[in-house]
Amino acid sequence: MEYAIETFSLTKVFSDFWGRQKVYAVDNLNLKINYNEVFGLLGPNGSGKTTTLKVLLGLLYPTKGKSIVLGGDSSDPKINARIGFLPEESYLYKYLNARETLDFYGRLFGLGAKVRKMRIEALLDMVGLRAVANRPVGTFSKGMARRIGLAQALINDPDLLILDEPTTGLDPIGTRQIKDLILQLAKRGKTVLLCSHLLADVEDVCDRIAILYGGKIQAKGKVKELLQQTNKRQITTGSISDRSVERIKQIVENEQAECTVTSPMDRLETFFIKTVVAAQQQAQATSGAVSTTKIGDFLTSGPRAGSILDKLVSAPVSRQGSSDKPATTEEVSPVETGESEPDRQLLSKLTEPAEPVPPEGVVKPEPVETETSQQEAEKSILEQLTERHTSTDRDENQGDSHKGDAGDA
Amino acid sequence: MRSIWAVATNTLKQALRMKIAVVFVVLLLVLLPAMAISMVGDGTLKGRMQTFISYGLSLTSFLLCLLTILASTYSLTSEFEQKQIYTVLTKPVRRFELLLGKVLGVILLDIGLLGLFSALIYGITIYTPRFVKAGEAELLQVQNEFFTARAGLIPAKADVGDEVEKTYERLERTGQLPPGVTDSKIGRENYKNALASQIELGKRAAAPGHELVWEFNNVKPIDPNESLFVRFKYDVSMNPPDLHVYGKWLVGDIRQAGSRVGTPVYPFERRDLIRTFYEIEVPADAVAEDGYLAVGFFNDPRFNNTVVIFPLEDGLEVLYKADSFTANFFRGVLLVFFRLVLLACLGIFASSFLSMPVAILLCLIVFFTGTISGFIIESFDYLSKNASSLCSYTIGPIIRLLPQFDKFNPTKFLLGGRLLSWSVVAKVAGLMIFVKSAILLLLALVIFSYREIARITV
Repeated sequence: MEYAIETFSLTKVFSDFWGRQKVYAVDNLNLKINYNEVFGLLGPNGSGKTTTLKVLLGLLYPTKGKSIVLGGDSSDPKINARIGFLPEESYLYKYLNARETLDFYGRLFGLGAKVRKMRIEALLDMVGLRAVANRPVGTFSKGMARRIGLAQALINDPDLLILDEPTTGLDPIGTRQIKDLILQLAKRGKTVLLCSHLLADVEDVCDRIAILYGGKIQAKGKVKELLQQTNKRQITTGSISDRSVERIKQIVENEQAECTVTSPMDRLETFFIKTVVAAQQQAQATSGAVSTTKIGDFLTSGPRAGSILDKLVSAPVSRQGSSDKPATTEEVSPVETGESEPDRQLLSKLTEPAEPVPPEGVVKPEPVETETSQQEAEKSILEQLTERHTSTDRDENQGDSHKGDAGDA
Repeated sequence: MRSIWAVATNTLKQALRMKIAVVFVVLLLVLLPAMAISMVGDGTLKGRMQTFISYGLSLTSFLLCLLTILASTYSLTSEFEQKQIYTVLTKPVRRFELLLGKVLGVILLDIGLLGLFSALIYGITIYTPRFVKAGEAELLQVQNEFFTARAGLIPAKADVGDEVEKTYERLERTGQLPPGVTDSKIGRENYKNALASQIELGKRAAAPGHELVWEFNNVKPIDPNESLFVRFKYDVSMNPPDLHVYGKWLVGDIRQAGSRVGTPVYPFERRDLIRTFYEIEVPADAVAEDGYLAVGFFNDPRFNNTVVIFPLEDGLEVLYKADSFTANFFRGVLLVFFRLVLLACLGIFASSFLSMPVAILLCLIVFFTGTISGFIIESFDYLSKNASSLCSYTIGPIIRLLPQFDKFNPTKFLLGGRLLSWSVVAKVAGLMIFVKSAILLLLALVIFSYREIARITV
């Protein structure tokens, strides 16, 4: 029971009809994932990520080696009852509606009617599909199906969550939400195995990662250690005068180090969320998923008791006290007030985990360097995408974000 | 158990919402009433009822069989093709629970639909006589011969073994055996078999001036005030000019002849067409208390000058009412139900290792061979007489494992108002459900539990 997941020279070879060995999908894999850890399995397409998961879950049998999941065999229902699994695509029964889908999976776990009903409603709220809960999931868009898929993986309040490409097809808010959720679960002592090639997602949430190629681990370790550029430092300040900047430059140059000064960019994610929240504020109708920042209360309810909303927002609450009124309504609050102040508070909640200073208790603080490098990467690609029509907006928003940043810093 | 039930209800929803069932339901809801109106049979009320119940029940059974095959194979193969099974089997669900859930779901569907349509057929059958103009005689005939469940007794087969041996020895001694018979064992057997049927038939033939007597025990009509029926068919050695036979019949307890008569013995004199079935209605009090009944036939030499033969298989039979039509109909529906259960298990078995089209094909092949299993078994037996024992020990049992839908066809019983006894139903249930379905399910479980779920087979 030392590790949540442990594999011993796990090997999976796909043979053809005649038994000739064709593909080494997983090759001598030794993986150790600790309890209460967010572990990212990375790799290009066809590197054996999904195959590894399938072997771990007993959907494929290993050619060689073995794996131990939660201290037992994954074909044991007792172990299965503690696992939540989101496959690479949401494989759903098209003819069931969202509520029935969750109900079906709830029954498979043998949950009582009351618990089931409570969790289903909480999950539907959380993934923002309550309004379309009675539509057959066959009519859902990919992202909506993904949300239901995520909800079904959570219905048993799993100890181990295995997510295969959880954010594909999701809008940025959904992505943000999943990342928040993962952090939340980790905070509650759950283990998460994340499988993805969307590096940004992995970077944001994972404690440790392993990079697979050709079924073999090419690199593994702590995200922080792997990525930290120990030969660089970054200083983030509030709005300061040019004179001060010059003085700082002077100090740096005295140490014979290079120094560049720019205004930090908003991440596109932040910007996007801001825009959508503004639209939600105007109560615009959507036939799609309603993005909320909620997380099912049964998932977040730790030992401490509290109001639903406390739990809903407990993760992203920033230190200087966003735990205030706006978030205390059941829906995302903007409808309540048209002012911009609560809006920003909501935003800060949405974006909190990306802020330089993490909330207390989040297992892994994010390295500042991460933020920068990511921003730069985003800038280079995204600039081209957004330059033309958002350049002016960005300028306008920069002021806003400064204010927000200053508040948090 | 909970997960079995969850899978079962999900399977049921699938069959209903994917509109697999809808096509069949609509078809039957339209066809059954249409058949009731348009089918007149041979013009008599009885013929009309017979036609309707036979076609109605056969059609229902056939369509539900197809539906069962489709629903069961689709429900499991689609799990693989659309991969929902990944999310199901990673939940605390054992594989056998998934399979049983699927079977149960299809069976639930069958129970619902079979219940609906058999109720419809039953209702139409019961109410047809009220809406059709028919004379008293026709109504009585329908009451006696259709709305009933009559048990039939056929005379015990005479044991002719000794006689065959003696005759054979005599022929051999006197050298009258046809050439070639003594050459091989098979030749001898064949000749003896021919002799046996010849002698048996001799015991069922009456030359002019001679009589035949059949004795029955265990005749148990449910009501002594009802009638029992002697059903017979004449065959003749030489066609009489008017194609009729004049027969004198006696039905009753002939053991008491001479002494004081306790139960009545009924005489009949009739003139009937040859090679046609007739029924003599006899009051049921002719049966002695111990269930004994004798039927005597006298070939009257004043009118006939031909040997009268009662064919071996269906020449003579005594029928009496043993149960009600309703109970009989219910048991008939049960037979259809067993068939559906077997097919559901077959479908699940096939899809435990085959893809959808192949699984359906396999099921259809088994289904159709099952409907002509009698023919297949007979021809195999005939052919395998000369085949090696290896052949008859391998293919033989396999052929017998095929479902025998034609042998247990309920319409056969309902058409003639024949009793379909609980013992027959139990026998069929035992064979179809507790042997064949169980074997199929076991095989499916074994295959399925070793199958790599996420393995894509192309």
